[in-house]
Amino acid sequence: MNTRLISRPVNWNKIEDPVDLDVWNRLTQNFWLPEKVPVSNDIQSWETLRPHEQKLTMHVFTGLTMLDTIQGTVGAMSLMPDARTQHEEAVITNIAFMESVHAKSYSSVFSTLCLTSDIDEAFRWSEDNPNLQKKAEIVLNYYHGTDPLKRKVASTLLESFLFYSGFYLPMYWSSRAKLTNTADLIRLIIRDEAIHGYYIGYKFQLAYNEADPKVQEEIKQYTYDLLLELYENEIKYTADLYDEMGLTADVKKFLHYNANKALMNLGFDPLFPKDECEVNPAILAALSPNADENHDFFSGSGSSYVIGKHESTTDDDWDF
Amino acid sequence: MGTPVEVVDDNGVSTNTTAIESAMSYHELNAMINLWDKDGKMQLDKDKMAARRYFLDHVNQNTVFFHSLRERLDYLVENEYYEKEVLDQYRFEFIEQLEKLAYSKKFRFEAFMGAYKFYTGYALKTFDGARYLERFEDRVVMVALALAEGDEAIASSLVEEIISGRFQPATPTFLNCGKKQRGEFVSCFLLRIEDNMESISRGINSALQLSKRGGGVALSLSNIREYGAPIKKIEGQSSGIIPVMKLLEDAFSYANQLGARQGAGAVYLNAHHPDILRFLDTKRENADEKIRIKTLSIGVVIPDITMHLAKDNEDMYLFSPYDVEKVYGVPFGDISVTEKYQEMVDDPRIRKSKIKARTLFERIAELQFESGYPYIMYEDTVNNANPVAGRINMSNLCSEILQVNTPTTYNADLSYNEIGKDISCNLGSLNIAMVMDGPDFGKTIETSIRALTAVSDQSDIESVRSISDGNHKSHAIGLGQMNLHGYLAREKVHYGSEVALDFTNIYFYTVLFHALKASNKLAIERKSHFVGFENSKYASGEFFDKYINQVWAPETEKTKELFAGSNIAIPTQADWVELKASIQKHGIYNQNLQAVPPTGSISYINNSTSSIHPIASRIEIRKEGKLGRVYYPAPFLSDETWEYYDDAYEVGPEKIIDTYAVATQHVDQGLSLTLFFKDTDTTRDVNRAQIYAWRKGIKTIYYIRIRQQALTGTEVDSCVSCML
Repeated sequence: MNTRLISRPVNWNKIEDPVDLDVWNRLTQNFWLPEKVPVSNDIQSWETLRPHEQKLTMHVFTGLTMLDTIQGTVGAMSLMPDARTQHEEAVITNIAFMESVHAKSYSSVFSTLCLTSDIDEAFRWSEDNPNLQKKAEIVLNYYHGTDPLKRKVASTLLESFLFYSGFYLPMYWSSRAKLTNTADLIRLIIRDEAIHGYYIGYKFQLAYNEADPKVQEEIKQYTYDLLLELYENEIKYTADLYDEMGLTADVKKFLHYNANKALMNLGFDPLFPKDECEVNPAILAALSPNADENHDFFSGSGSSYVIGKHESTTDDDWDF
Repeated sequence: MGTPVEVVDDNGVSTNTTAIESAMSYHELNAMINLWDKDGKMQLDKDKMAARRYFLDHVNQNTVFFHSLRERLDYLVENEYYEKEVLDQYRFEFIEQLEKLAYSKKFRFEAFMGAYKFYTGYALKTFDGARYLERFEDRVVMVALALAEGDEAIASSLVEEIISGRFQPATPTFLNCGKKQRGEFVSCFLLRIEDNMESISRGINSALQLSKRGGGVALSLSNIREYGAPIKKIEGQSSGIIPVMKLLEDAFSYANQLGARQGAGAVYLNAHHPDILRFLDTKRENADEKIRIKTLSIGVVIPDITMHLAKDNEDMYLFSPYDVEKVYGVPFGDISVTEKYQEMVDDPRIRKSKIKARTLFERIAELQFESGYPYIMYEDTVNNANPVAGRINMSNLCSEILQVNTPTTYNADLSYNEIGKDISCNLGSLNIAMVMDGPDFGKTIETSIRALTAVSDQSDIESVRSISDGNHKSHAIGLGQMNLHGYLAREKVHYGSEVALDFTNIYFYTVLFHALKASNKLAIERKSHFVGFENSKYASGEFFDKYINQVWAPETEKTKELFAGSNIAIPTQADWVELKASIQKHGIYNQNLQAVPPTGSISYINNSTSSIHPIASRIEIRKEGKLGRVYYPAPFLSDETWEYYDDAYEVGPEKIIDTYAVATQHVDQGLSLTLFFKDTDTTRDVNRAQIYAWRKGIKTIYYIRIRQQALTGTEVDSCVSCML
């Protein structure tokens, strides 16, 4: 049987879900490219890191590059077939594109701060580290799966949970006045990921609430199972990275905090009790996606500027 | 922080980091002030704890101990930490007495940020950077000794003024005084570039030299011929100003002051320069790497005519500086575009292009959203208010220095033909709250003017002759102000309210009187005034008209009370008549007296709100290269004063402009004025603020800052600065 596909142009003047427009506006307003951040101002600071600290930083960044690669090329795109509105499709293309910008940003940090041989080593590490590979495998598996709800869960957990073991480190450095421009760049990424996680979680909740109770129960169970599976692996990955610096316990609390945040985005109850989520205040305070930092312009470009809304002045404005 | 897990490398050696910041929990304590506690209360006490911990865990353990002052000074001089010449001007007993005086004041840092900033950025350290050789009191004494030039009375006054927090010298002065290995004391340099290769290369050379010494450098590009202009009459040869900007940017990133301060530079361009749009596009988010300017600041010089053309929604003509200079015989920057506009439009010898005037303003606003730049200088406003003969065609890195300059010309072998006048300015700021609390308003200002003048006297930038010559002739200084919002809030006055404007007006009026009086006193003592005094509005007396023909007095009861409560006499018309006579007779020593800088670092040390701005946030998140992310509570913030600390985004541009406008009328140079917008504002809101500022007689606009709130649902719980 032949079904005839009708192509419909996306009409932004007819919004079915106002959240689509909100998020689209926010994402486009937040558009940025890594070239904006003067990472080269961190070269001196990079040299003050001890060798194992440098290695850790590179490993963390290759790990993040991996996640952004997956999310940009597979993850975000896998959400496309289930989009509820055409505007959602547009938002997803933006998300996918920005994930690729993120993946490239890490490379621009590398090329500015490190030698090629070190970069190659770090990428080799990312291919050889079993826990990082496992993480990728788990997520990819669900992206290739058939259940749209499960794909969204996987995507939200990636955006809101899996990134953060990596985000911890640049926030930690910047609270110690190290690599502050790199931290600016990461904060721009966090600003984006916070919205991605929120949006995908929101779309999940819409579909979830329409599903019948039996399916709901199954999905909920699945979510907690997947989270725990990822968590088990994430703990090992975290230990691989942070044991040497003695930060593992601290990072774990941060993971708990973000796991709860991811569940919240999906509309589920938190898993970890509050006292296991007491994130180091220096990290938590640095995490705010608000663009409210009062940076000094002479050592960095800050992470607060946005693409402004253009509006022409009228004769009244010039009435003097 | 967790206990480090033992990790052993292939050789069985522990690779654990030893001192790895486990003791640095003051960072966490400090960050806690940005988080609500479990009951949703502010945790301001945590900041005090952070400051205490910082001393206990870090400063005290890393400070070199000396048995006596004698031992300490001998050691520091022998090992070339302190400048022997500074100490040799005084008796040892006097220095001892001065140290006692400083320590008797029981100075304590009010905020962690202040202590952290001081020890990270200012205190003398051993050459390996590992240990401190000074406490705050020692630094203050050294600054006083260096600036008093052997005068014991002045040295004592300076210690009193600085340690009480009334007067705070700018960073280069406070950082460098008395140190053997040091940069210059001067904050700011402004250089002209003329339309020839000799001048361009000299400009780059000077930028390197001045950055090395620690100043911020601004350069005017308005005179340089545009992209495609002829070179030696061959058309289409010039590559315009962008490559010059690139060269300057690289020069600044190369040079820094012993790593203490990053080299920083700004360039200014007249709005009617043909490269203006290219100039602005260097700050575009999607600018090509070849033309993108990341770290160089940019500013636009806007004459009144541009505003009028935009008002009438007309085209604005851009004029080739190459042709203008040929026709008028003076560089483009030295003519008034407003005055000559029609003439130049009609002159066929001048090549021109045109753009819509409103397009320019919209483009400026778009870029300000994306990058905070450009700065703006309203050229005609500045020149109309200038009491000194000559023309002002640019400002500086912080847009508060506004002085006249003249071009330098070169011989074929690159030596000087005629050395023109370039600009330098050294700054220092008064803490308004502390000055209002102080015992003697006039004396505080006199001491401050003396200190700033001493910096000018002691400065001799030999490597840039146009700067050193200019300084010797003008003795220009810039007395600034800070902590206005802190003071107002402490006195329970809302920023930008009627009372606040009234207070600001009378305060600046009174400061001006005492500043002129002090400079006049210096002229009498030294039997000398700045070069060109004869041609100034001070000498003609015109400057004093507005003070003699009009009564300046508080209009609100509250302002009257504030001044009466502080025992500060407000100058009367009779006082002005007397001062005018003395100034006309003896002159004033300093060509320029006031400039209100943005006060970043020093306001943290001094526990002030910066400049005369409203606060950026009750808990400010400050990020700097050397500091990382630090949280700074507004001075005097408490449950009781909470409501008086509306932040700058809430206060909005109009009240900020109103505040600056009343202050501007009493300040001979400029005031760094940052405007704050929410991300929901549009380019039109920014344009409206610019128009309003121009109408109110504002001279310059510094940064535009944008605050974006997190999308509902993505914010971090319990974050204080996130709250609206």
